[in-house]
Amino acid sequence: MIELSNVRKVYGDSTEAVSNVSLEVSQGETATLVGPSGCGKTTLLTMLNRLTELTDGEIIIDGTPISDHDKIELRRNIGYVIQEIGLFNHMTVGDNIGIVPDLRGWDEERKKERIGELLDLIQLPLDTKERYPESLSGGQQQRVGVARALAAEPDIMLMDEPFGALDPITREELQDEFLEIQEGLDVTIVFVSHDINEALKMGDKVAVLNDGELVQYDSPRDLLANPRNAFVEDFVGEDRLLKQLSLIPVREATTSPSELDERTSTVLHPDDTLKSAVQSFYHATEPLSVVENGQVVGSLSERDIRSVVSDSAEEGLPNKYA
Amino acid sequence: MLNNVDLLLEQTLEHVDIALTAIVIGTVLWVPLGVFVYQYDRFSPPVIGLAGMILTLPSLVLFPLLIPVVGIGTAPATVALVLYSALPITRNTYTGLGEVDAAVERAGEGLGMTDRQLLARVKLPMAVPVIFAGIRQAAVLIIGITTIAAFFGAGGLGASIFAGIRLNLPKQIIGATIIVSLLAIVTDYGLGLLQRQLPGGKRGLNT
Repeated sequence: MIELSNVRKVYGDSTEAVSNVSLEVSQGETATLVGPSGCGKTTLLTMLNRLTELTDGEIIIDGTPISDHDKIELRRNIGYVIQEIGLFNHMTVGDNIGIVPDLRGWDEERKKERIGELLDLIQLPLDTKERYPESLSGGQQQRVGVARALAAEPDIMLMDEPFGALDPITREELQDEFLEIQEGLDVTIVFVSHDINEALKMGDKVAVLNDGELVQYDSPRDLLANPRNAFVEDFVGEDRLLKQLSLIPVREATTSPSELDERTSTVLHPDDTLKSAVQSFYHATEPLSVVENGQVVGSLSERDIRSVVSDSAEEGLPNKYA
Repeated sequence: MLNNVDLLLEQTLEHVDIALTAIVIGTVLWVPLGVFVYQYDRFSPPVIGLAGMILTLPSLVLFPLLIPVVGIGTAPATVALVLYSALPITRNTYTGLGEVDAAVERAGEGLGMTDRQLLARVKLPMAVPVIFAGIRQAAVLIIGITTIAAFFGAGGLGASIFAGIRLNLPKQIIGATIIVSLLAIVTDYGLGLLQRQLPGGKRGLNT
């Protein structure tokens, strides 16, 4: 658990990079920090591992203020991934992944085993550990970067636009892979992004920052449903209703089957998103049947969707649904 | 003729001995100095400036200046050659460390390396190609200047060259000079092989 209270960072010439930010990240949760460039998100992130020292306020990790920790010890317990990757090109992939265990004095056997585990986790063949980073593709290099950060089993991971320098296809691949990896771990993650879509996708909670201030800190759905002000509304984009629909599973809007039309050719699965349901309305008559394991479990109509999608978003509904 | 071969061989060995000693001492002294000025940057302009100034002193002036201090023979030669190697080695160490990718440094720092670990395990290995370029440059320079040392009684291939000049024996001058050049080329190549053995040494070998 990470708690920030009234955190401020002022640089020498009285530029306030971060002003009075307070937020909490629960154990095992991912918080994304998002905002335009210069909003202070990276500064805020690096204050957590004390690469940047805070001016005022307090950061508490698992009950202890980070100022009480030895800087070096603190960093060895926190995974760190950066956009530029920053692999050590003179070391093999294996040595790169094993660097923090090595700094912490693990024995060779344990280190070797851990490197094998991680290569498996990031889906690279075991013999990659003998290779040098420069012989890998960008996507593979950042996988190694993630493995390096996870090596010493940290409780916390800090990720500074980790997938920002990759091409869109690789980026999405790595996002999906990372979400999968993360499910198997109990790691608290703080993830910086400038891309609202990435922030909504990766975060359990999203912190929108502007000019060093925390504008809103909410779950992706709440953020989309109730943007606090014009800045957030603008930042999440005009298509925030569609984004919202893509975050809600059909299951939540399904009503019990009443007069079912078994002949509908278009059926939905409870895990489909409402976005795909809306798409289906264009070439099928509603209500649509929701089918799971061959069993009809309910039906879904426009009205059902409207009942779950928050009121304040109504004004953004496309005409057909207004 | 056979005598000549023997003499040349002896002078070549002397030459190699003087030059290699200077290169080894120069490396041992100036790489750490380069690290020092990298860490305490305010010292870099005076130190590198002074090293540059030394290099502008003609060897015909520097050698005799050192004789009253360290005596005659190979000693003044070694001292002078070590001084000449200061600029390429110190400056390349300083520059090489400064050119290490900032992101790599930040990653190392963020993963919990101490300053010393960062220097020893990341920055120095990453700077190896640039540092070695300096050492190789110094080696070639030193092997050339060692020739002058013979003028002040240090021996080496310069002895044959100066004798050839005095006695007007162009073949002897050219022969000895070719050996000096070959020595420089072989040493440079040998240092390149040595560089390969170091961590991070396989990179940038074409420079």
